[in-house]
Amino acid sequence: MSETILYISFEELCEPEAIKHEWVLELIDYGIATPVTGSSEKDWYFDMSSVVWLKKAVRLYCELEIDWVAVALIIELLKQKQALAQENQSLQSQLKRFHHA
Amino acid sequence: MEFKDYYQILGLKEDAELKEIKRTYRKLALKLHPDVNPEADASEKFKEVAEAYEVLKDPKRRAEYDELRKYGGSRAGGFNDTGNWQHAEGADHEHNNADFADFFHSVFGDRGFTQGGAQHSTGHRSHQHVYKGQDAEIEVPVFLEDTLAESSKTIQFSIPAIENGQVKQVSKTLKVKIPMGVSDNDRIRLKGQGGPGHGDGPNGDLYLHIRLVPHPLFDVQGHDVIISIPISPWEAALGASITVPTLSGKIKLNVKPNSNSGQKMRVKGKGLKTKVGSGDMIAVLKIVLPAQISEDDKVLWQQFKDKNAFNPRNQWSD
Repeated sequence: MSETILYISFEELCEPEAIKHEWVLELIDYGIATPVTGSSEKDWYFDMSSVVWLKKAVRLYCELEIDWVAVALIIELLKQKQALAQENQSLQSQLKRFHHA
Repeated sequence: MEFKDYYQILGLKEDAELKEIKRTYRKLALKLHPDVNPEADASEKFKEVAEAYEVLKDPKRRAEYDELRKYGGSRAGGFNDTGNWQHAEGADHEHNNADFADFFHSVFGDRGFTQGGAQHSTGHRSHQHVYKGQDAEIEVPVFLEDTLAESSKTIQFSIPAIENGQVKQVSKTLKVKIPMGVSDNDRIRLKGQGGPGHGDGPNGDLYLHIRLVPHPLFDVQGHDVIISIPISPWEAALGASITVPTLSGKIKLNVKPNSNSGQKMRVKGKGLKTKVGSGDMIAVLKIVLPAQISEDDKVLWQQFKDKNAFNPRNQWSD
């Protein structure tokens, strides 16, 4: 059975993905990702959800030629959009169940 | 190979200034970037735009491309790279270019593709042809019941791999462990199960994107599950002990006398698992009348009406 990984270390996140350390530090400052464990860089671990948002943020930074403030804003809005879409889907489904026998 | 007109892709004239090229790229990138544009073809369109920008923003590459366009691109039958093309020196971009478009690759070889303005790479790898394989992501549907305990799933997927210079789809089958308590949109990483690395580079990773399958009875809100419970008018009025399903079997639920439609009852610990415990089940009462009313029923309802002064629209009367 394949090994499933739920957390990724700071080094492991940066090195093979060619993500600069200072980029991750910026993104942590903006609250886009938060290490789930560890008090210093060498023992930081991130969950996969943070990793996904981090990678998205790095892609936006590199490919849209925008600064970190703008990236943070986009990510925040994307997160809100995803949460609202999920909530909307759930409410629609509840409404449907409530109105139809 | 089909010649790609980078000016046309960006909608620019061939004498466009660098400033205009940048402005146009930024506008298109904001519109087409696959992280902000959910349309299916956005990713492909963005790749084209990024590729065009990569060439046109660099004066040396642009000059090289313009030459090629002038002599080769306008030929009938498309572009034919003879291999004799002399590359301009000094285009000093680092890369991770497993995703190169064929056309770009044939003209500029391995001399870097940064997909946008900022450099997205840390190592000087361009001379070693070593880079990590592509990461891949697949959606894995998971039933709500399966999140209550660790489960295993067999997944099949295909990923692009380069064999003898050709991109081919390689099918893979894996048995994977789905941990207890996964939520919608969670990701699980399978290290090294993505696209093959280049040179001595490591394989990419496979990310499993967990999607909870809509349940016929339950909706999910955070870690709570919500169920609509149909009850009869007399159960609502008199109260009742009813049997209701949960994700882990049936339970008895006491409906209090004088309950109303839309009223919620919380059943602790019968929701989805979390790292520290369980969410709850929220039962929403829904008063349902029989589909048909017999003559006897009508008589009883009439008697009820005659004896009852209740008017649910009282607040409208003024």
